[in-house]
Amino acid sequence: MNHSPQNRTDILQDRYGLKTASYLSAGTANLPYDISERLRAARAQAVSVRKVTRTYAVVASAAQGTGPVLSWGSDESFSLWDRVGSVLPLIALVVGLLTINSLQTDSFVQELAEVDSALLTDDLPPDAFSDPGFVQFLKATR
Amino acid sequence: MATEQELSDFLKNVEKRAFKRSVYHVRDDEAALDIVQDSMMKLAQHYGDKPAAELPMLFQRILSNTTLDWFRRRKTRNALFSNMSDFESAGEDGDFDLLETLESSTNSEGTESAQDATERAQILRQIETEIKELPGRQREAFLMRYWEEMDVAETAAAMGCSEGSVKTHCSRAVHALSKALAAKGIKL
Repeated sequence: MNHSPQNRTDILQDRYGLKTASYLSAGTANLPYDISERLRAARAQAVSVRKVTRTYAVVASAAQGTGPVLSWGSDESFSLWDRVGSVLPLIALVVGLLTINSLQTDSFVQELAEVDSALLTDDLPPDAFSDPGFVQFLKATR
Repeated sequence: MATEQELSDFLKNVEKRAFKRSVYHVRDDEAALDIVQDSMMKLAQHYGDKPAAELPMLFQRILSNTTLDWFRRRKTRNALFSNMSDFESAGEDGDFDLLETLESSTNSEGTESAQDATERAQILRQIETEIKELPGRQREAFLMRYWEEMDVAETAAAMGCSEGSVKTHCSRAVHALSKALAAKGIKL
């Protein structure tokens, strides 16, 4: 422990300063009412114009991935199941389109087959329909 | 970032001391109120988004600068910077013993009678008178260091000077105060 004269002087000086300040602090408790009220009003006015940085907070939260933003490139915030879940509707759409296309093709082929089979199984030979005289005959007999 | 409540609490905590400090500097209640109000507004408008821990230092700087601006506007430079006692040597106090002015401090405990309260009020008035008589920089350093309870480094940063200057200002202020009060028979 240092008891040098300079250190002792510093300690006494600090004690005296703090003792003086304690008197000053006691004095602030007895400020006139109008002064206290004006200080209170000034404080309220200052608080009402307080600088707020809400926009920065939103940007910061978005940058951290906590905001409502899409982040496809972020491996940390997008797990495998999230990716599968996102791709699943697209796969269902493609499968549905292919199924519809296949059904329509089958239906068209079925109709053609029915026409062909009707022509081939009829008593009349198919070449008769290309004969102009036979067509005229059909019109005349209708 | 300090919340609205934190800012309000901080200002409530410092506003009376800030007012009295300004009064000691400018010796005018109305001007002191204007200075404190301006300082509060500047703190809230420009630094309202700072952490609560930074507010005390910022406010002290703003208060000091606003007080300086007031003096500049009024062109009354005699109160802060032109007092020639700033340049007095430190050694001229001779054998003045600071300890003698503190000797009565141990017997002030216990219940305070009406006479004690009156004595304290008188001592306070004498202290305030002597603080107003201090040179501006000494007064500023003394009040920041001991009333605002800032350490030497913080006071130096707020005043824009070196720590050595703060120590010198505080030492001279304490000696001047203790000497003046002792001359009036006041021992703290």
